Amino acid sequence: MIKIAVCIKQVPAYSEGEMDPKTGVLLRGGLTSVLNIYDLPAIETALRIKEEKGGEVDVFTMGPPKASDVIREAYAMGVDRGYLLSDRHFSGADVLATSYTLMQGITSVSHYDLILCGKQTTDGDTGQVSGALAKWLNIPYINWVTKIVKLEKDSIIIEQMMENEEVTIKTKYPCLVSVEQSIFIPRIPSLKLKIAAKKKEIKVLSLSEMQDQNKNHYGLRGSATKVEKIFPPTKVKKRPIVHKTGIEAASDIFKIIQQIK
Amino acid sequence: MEKRSIIPMSEKYWQYLSDESKMLGEAESISFPESEEEVLKIVAKMRKDNIPITVQGGKTGIAGCAVPLRGHILNLSNMTQVKAFIKTDTGDRLLKVSPGITLLELKKTINKLKDKEELFWPPDPTEASATVGGIVSCDAKGICSYLYGDTRNYIEQLRVVQSDGTILEVSHEEMDKYIGGEGMLGILTEITLRLQPKPKEIWGISFFFENKHDVLCFAQELSKKEQNITGACVAAIEYMDRATIDIIQERKEMMTKLQELPDVDTEICAMVYIEIHGNEEESVEQIAEILMELAEMHNSNADKAWAVSGDIEIEKMRAFRHAAAESTNLLIEKTRQEEPSITKLSTDMCIESESFKTIVTKYEEDLKKEGLKACIFGHIYGNHLHVNILPQNDKEYKKGHALIEKWAKETALKKGKIVTEHGVGKLKKNIFLKTASREIINKILVLKNRYDPTRMWNPDNMIEE
Ligand SMILES: Cc1cc2nc3c(=O)[nH]c(=O)nc-3n(C[C@H](O)[C@H](O)[C@H](O)COP(=O)(O)OP(=O)(O)OC[C@H]3O[C@@H](n4cnc5c(N)ncnc54)[C@H](O)[C@@H]3O)c2cc1C
Repeated sequence: MIKIAVCIKQVPAYSEGEMDPKTGVLLRGGLTSVLNIYDLPAIETALRIKEEKGGEVDVFTMGPPKASDVIREAYAMGVDRGYLLSDRHFSGADVLATSYTLMQGITSVSHYDLILCGKQTTDGDTGQVSGALAKWLNIPYINWVTKIVKLEKDSIIIEQMMENEEVTIKTKYPCLVSVEQSIFIPRIPSLKLKIAAKKKEIKVLSLSEMQDQNKNHYGLRGSATKVEKIFPPTKVKKRPIVHKTGIEAASDIFKIIQQIK
Repeated sequence: MEKRSIIPMSEKYWQYLSDESKMLGEAESISFPESEEEVLKIVAKMRKDNIPITVQGGKTGIAGCAVPLRGHILNLSNMTQVKAFIKTDTGDRLLKVSPGITLLELKKTINKLKDKEELFWPPDPTEASATVGGIVSCDAKGICSYLYGDTRNYIEQLRVVQSDGTILEVSHEEMDKYIGGEGMLGILTEITLRLQPKPKEIWGISFFFENKHDVLCFAQELSKKEQNITGACVAAIEYMDRATIDIIQERKEMMTKLQELPDVDTEICAMVYIEIHGNEEESVEQIAEILMELAEMHNSNADKAWAVSGDIEIEKMRAFRHAAAESTNLLIEKTRQEEPSITKLSTDMCIESESFKTIVTKYEEDLKKEGLKACIFGHIYGNHLHVNILPQNDKEYKKGHALIEKWAKETALKKGKIVTEHGVGKLKKNIFLKTASREIINKILVLKNRYDPTRMWNPDNMIEE
């Protein structure tokens, strides 16, 4: 019996040309929202593990009440329980505050053996939330995972795709695994479960359900990043390769960013 | 007129000698007008020189309607203007477009229209590169015609360039001859489309069956009774046999949209794809439940039935259905590379007087008797199936052709339709002329004599001169 939590997110289904070129603000009006495509393989991975070893799969999402749609979608795929972390104090969160809220939410519900995340979202795009969450939970973190090799009683063996090599890792539960899109083709929701999903309960967790109830640790207030301006990158054809030390390279990149701003 | 607007045929333009029928034709010159004015000039020149014109849209037709056999090719793919969006006092939403606009561009345009409701144009033969002019001229429909009905319901007005160089404005009441007219009576230079409010809720469900008897009985039940309730309706009911599923899956690597779909279990022998459209989510769900019960009664596992909603997911399901036609066309093209005599060999017949089960069983038995490979897919409603025969050589091609001819004769005897949505063109002319009633053929001849007495338009389509 493995207890698995999967972190999922509702994102706008936008495509090219839907960002205001002047303000850089996403034109969300009339746009539909969808379950982040990179989270689908994470759900699929969880369900396959459950089918093989038995267990429970719960999903957690932070967002407005409308984000419950993605929990219903996860239900239609076969997920057992869904938790919506929703509170006005959670809004405007960056990586730091999002991962903190997820940690608070997850630990307020249960103790999970395995936490699965998708590699990134299609809106925020940082790919950092899973790592930060593992840090808050203080558990081993393995990203870029392309294969589940073996499930053992108290540990999992997985394959991680590094830039130039494939690494096989064995780690004890609890741990956090961030999967690549290629790990599995996600299943299509089942009709029976989709119909049942409409009637299934979704538990909403607000600030009052969290162990830490300090407002300053959540949402905009708890964020380390302050967004000054969002703008579409100008397309440049030049792609120079420079060889520098890490510190030199970082300072050069910083200078380039300053110039663009 | 610019000198170069009529271009002599050369190697560079070889792809305009064919369409998705995979027939190969011939022509002396080609043009790509961008406006009605240019069309008029080209037509005047051709009339003066007594050169017949074959009109082309997106060249996605599968009966060779747009394949030239001689003369000039007038390709309208550059006539893509969106001219006006009109909201009438009676609440109609009309969009005036040039004929060369593709289905893909049209959808993008409609999505950007400023209206309080989301709109759409119901005729959707699924091939995104088909043009509005081609769709109207072939009376192409697509899977949701089960709910939305004929293409003519969604056309308000046409502008037609006639063979004498005059322009005719054709109202809704008088346009029937041009819908499915295969470009035989004039060139459509402007089409006013009637848009519809888009249903707020769309579900796409795929039921899978392990047993042929079960799927055929399920299909039969579906076509017998309407599943509609207030607030929602069944919009499409499509059948795909195992051979079709295999052909699609073999081509998955080449079709990115399909790569997000899991493979269909090997023990599945056929699937039925159903779309439900409505404005009330609960009503859509209720129909889904009724269908689920019916499918379970016929041994389809509802736990394994695919069910999606929302534009993006629905697109994936439609892409799968569309890939049925696309993949068979690709297969034919591949065989044709080795055996140039081979063209597309498919049916577009509709027989309502017999049951779905009887028809599929008959097709399968005949194919087996002849030793021919084929895949069967299409619309369950109206028993409108597309049997695609897949010949490996010329001998099989001829056998397949003879078999289709036999089916056409049988269909005609049973008062069925031989050509329903793909057009007659050149590829199906032989069969059409052998099986259509004298009355229908005479009617076409009378129209042709009246609107094209000098035989300017689309030589060799539909009738023998
Ligand atoms: C993969 C695939 C799937 C398909 N699926 C379906 C389906 O589900 N249902 C369905 O109904 N069809 C289907 N089709 C065929 C469909 O009929 C064509 O895609 C479409 O109707 C033809 O449009 P086109 O612009 O390509 O026309 P073309 O092939 O270029 O021309 C078709 C005919 O229309 C005439 N024409 C074109 N434009 C004009 C004009 N402006 N004025 C006068 N005549 C004109 C041409 O002369 C020709 O006779 C499919 C095709 C493909 C390739």
